[in-house]
Amino acid sequence: MMARRNLNLKIALSVLSAFALSMAFTWFLHGHLSERDAYALIDRTFEDVESEITDRVNERLVLQCMAARERLEDGHPDDTASLQELARELRVSEVSIVDTKGDIVRSSVPDYLAAPGRPAFNFAAAGGMAAEMMLLVDGRETEHCQPYRSNPVNGNWRKFVGVWRPTGGFVEIGCDGAALRSLARSSIVDLFRNWHVNGTGGIVVTTVAGLVLTDYAEPSREGTQWNEPDESFFWKRMDIESFPTYVMIPKGSAAVQRDVLVGATATLNGAALVFVALLVGLVISSFVRQQLRAQAAKELKMAKDIQLAALPNVFPPFPDETRFDIWASMETAKEVGGDFYDFYFTGQDRVLFLVADVSGKGVPAAMFMMRAKTLIKSIAQTGKPLAHVFEEANDALCEGNSSNMFVTVWAGEINTRTGLVTYVNAGHNPPVLRRGGKSEYLKSQPSLVLGAMSGVSYRVYELSLAPGDAIYLYTDGITEQPNATGELYGEKRLLKALAGTTARGKAVLGAVLADMRRHGAGAEQADDCTQLLIRYRGQPDVVSYEYVPTMKDLAKATADLDAAIKSVPENVRTQMMVAADEIFSNIVRYSGATSWSLTVEKTRYPDSLRLIITDDGQAFDPLSHRDPDTTLCAGERDIGGLGILIVKKTMSPVTYRRRNGMNILSMGKVYGD
Amino acid sequence: MEIETKSEGEKLTIAVSGRVDTVTAPELAASFQFGDATCVVLDLADVQYMSSAGLRLLLIAHKTMLEKGGKFLIANPQPVVKEVLDITGFSGILNLV
Repeated sequence: MMARRNLNLKIALSVLSAFALSMAFTWFLHGHLSERDAYALIDRTFEDVESEITDRVNERLVLQCMAARERLEDGHPDDTASLQELARELRVSEVSIVDTKGDIVRSSVPDYLAAPGRPAFNFAAAGGMAAEMMLLVDGRETEHCQPYRSNPVNGNWRKFVGVWRPTGGFVEIGCDGAALRSLARSSIVDLFRNWHVNGTGGIVVTTVAGLVLTDYAEPSREGTQWNEPDESFFWKRMDIESFPTYVMIPKGSAAVQRDVLVGATATLNGAALVFVALLVGLVISSFVRQQLRAQAAKELKMAKDIQLAALPNVFPPFPDETRFDIWASMETAKEVGGDFYDFYFTGQDRVLFLVADVSGKGVPAAMFMMRAKTLIKSIAQTGKPLAHVFEEANDALCEGNSSNMFVTVWAGEINTRTGLVTYVNAGHNPPVLRRGGKSEYLKSQPSLVLGAMSGVSYRVYELSLAPGDAIYLYTDGITEQPNATGELYGEKRLLKALAGTTARGKAVLGAVLADMRRHGAGAEQADDCTQLLIRYRGQPDVVSYEYVPTMKDLAKATADLDAAIKSVPENVRTQMMVAADEIFSNIVRYSGATSWSLTVEKTRYPDSLRLIITDDGQAFDPLSHRDPDTTLCAGERDIGGLGILIVKKTMSPVTYRRRNGMNILSMGKVYGD
Repeated sequence: MEIETKSEGEKLTIAVSGRVDTVTAPELAASFQFGDATCVVLDLADVQYMSSAGLRLLLIAHKTMLEKGGKFLIANPQPVVKEVLDITGFSGILNLV
């Protein structure tokens, strides 16, 4: 899970940084663009502003020029002094009269007039802008304005305006900056009020002294001292017709636009990124989840395998043991659980057997189970009484049990000589006692589960088993198996199944499991199902004989065996005789023994027979030899090994041990219930 | 163990009763004198059981008769004997009638 959280974090971080980067870039780009756009807008605005101001100024000066022409037409004298007076009267800088050839013939400025050695100023000859005035002399234009500029004759800054004279030629006035502004300022006032540039930007025109003539935003500021815009504006100043003119755009309004753009981009980019991130996240997380699931499944299977492998799972577990039979099985549910069974000798004639169930499921339960199993076994094998085993195991399991797990255990210890069972129940389901065709629960006051609280003592009960009696142990996986409607299998059904089956031994476990599964048809196995059955068989009837390796003793042994197993059914008896003959003849012919013996054990529950044949000859394990090939044709057949093959095929179990210089071969045969 | 031998021309019948095991096998081996017989029938109807010691004799007799171009037949094996013959694969190579 940790890995997945890290991955999610990484994805989120990558997406966020990609987003932040793209936003920063967009911000920068739009910031940069908006400044450029702002200045481009300012330049475009200036074009309009310039033509607007020029129009107003021209209009005003043409009126003034017309006034001059009027006065002259009305007979105002036109000598230089009179014209100078007229110029003063009309508040212009100079007045000139031009004839049809373009010569200045009368002027308030003597420099323009012809003098000795110098012709009069001639517009056609002057060329450039001045030449354009020639359009007036023959009435092709009625008025003509030049821009405010430096005069080519004397370098004074002037704006010249001419109007034609119906009699030919034209009247021209020239205005310096002061004159121009004083005449035109009233035309400029108001001009740019409410003329907004880019929303909240606008135009301001001032006097040269810096008094506001027209203010786009605050008419109240008109006539007050103007300060150049501060850094919160994109702005530019241009002198138009000598009027200082400002076009300004608050950076804020440009930024607002940028913010809108960036915002829109951010929203779109964000949405796209989130979508992509979600998609990538989904794909990755589903992949990772799949991997994790596979990994977890693998680990769970390993845990299950380890758990199962830790339990004794070879049956019969003690092939030479005739005093009791024991079988156990554990059917694991899908999920690894904490069930276990166990059995082992705790003394020469004492066998401990138990079934246990750890609280919870999964790997923690499996680990706790391994601990509990190992602990109980290691303590029990010291030979301590059962109550002490439980007390010590409990105290050890309580130590450091921070996750508060516990285990229920039912354990019995049987004395295989007497059939006396002492048992302890640590909070486990009561087992079933099968005695003489009847089954009943072996109820006892349970003690506390193991691992819950240290210092607890465990009460020991006793039960005497007669030969043939059996104890059936199980975990609640059996009784709590639900059916399709949720009804549990339960103790009643279990008891009925046990009482109803004619099966004996191992088949009992299969019968219960089958009955439980019939009940739970359609429902999955809910929990581990663990069962153990131990049957006490009592002491065997034993007869023993001693022989020397001669043919005579071989015949004697055959006769002894024949007599010893008279009560055994005919077919079993002959199989036994044939098998014994193989072993006897091997000893007599090949072993080099000095003596040999035969022991015949007859045991009930189930009826069974066991021969133990020992000799002190050379070590020979007949079971380790490969079986002869029984498919060869007559010519290829060899007689060797056939005897052992017959033994192996007809007897079960057959075991061999070499102990204290003796070959000990045991072969058994079960022939009854 | 009892052994009864009956000769009819080229056919020799050997009827065995009792147990064939390590102890009795030599006795049976001694009775396996086939002479000029081309067909030997071993009647096992009264044999209680037979161990591998007996099997060995059957194999030898079977091979001997094969070499002579004659026949060695096993008649009436009881279930216990038949089981041993089956286990060891002898049912497949001997002629059971």
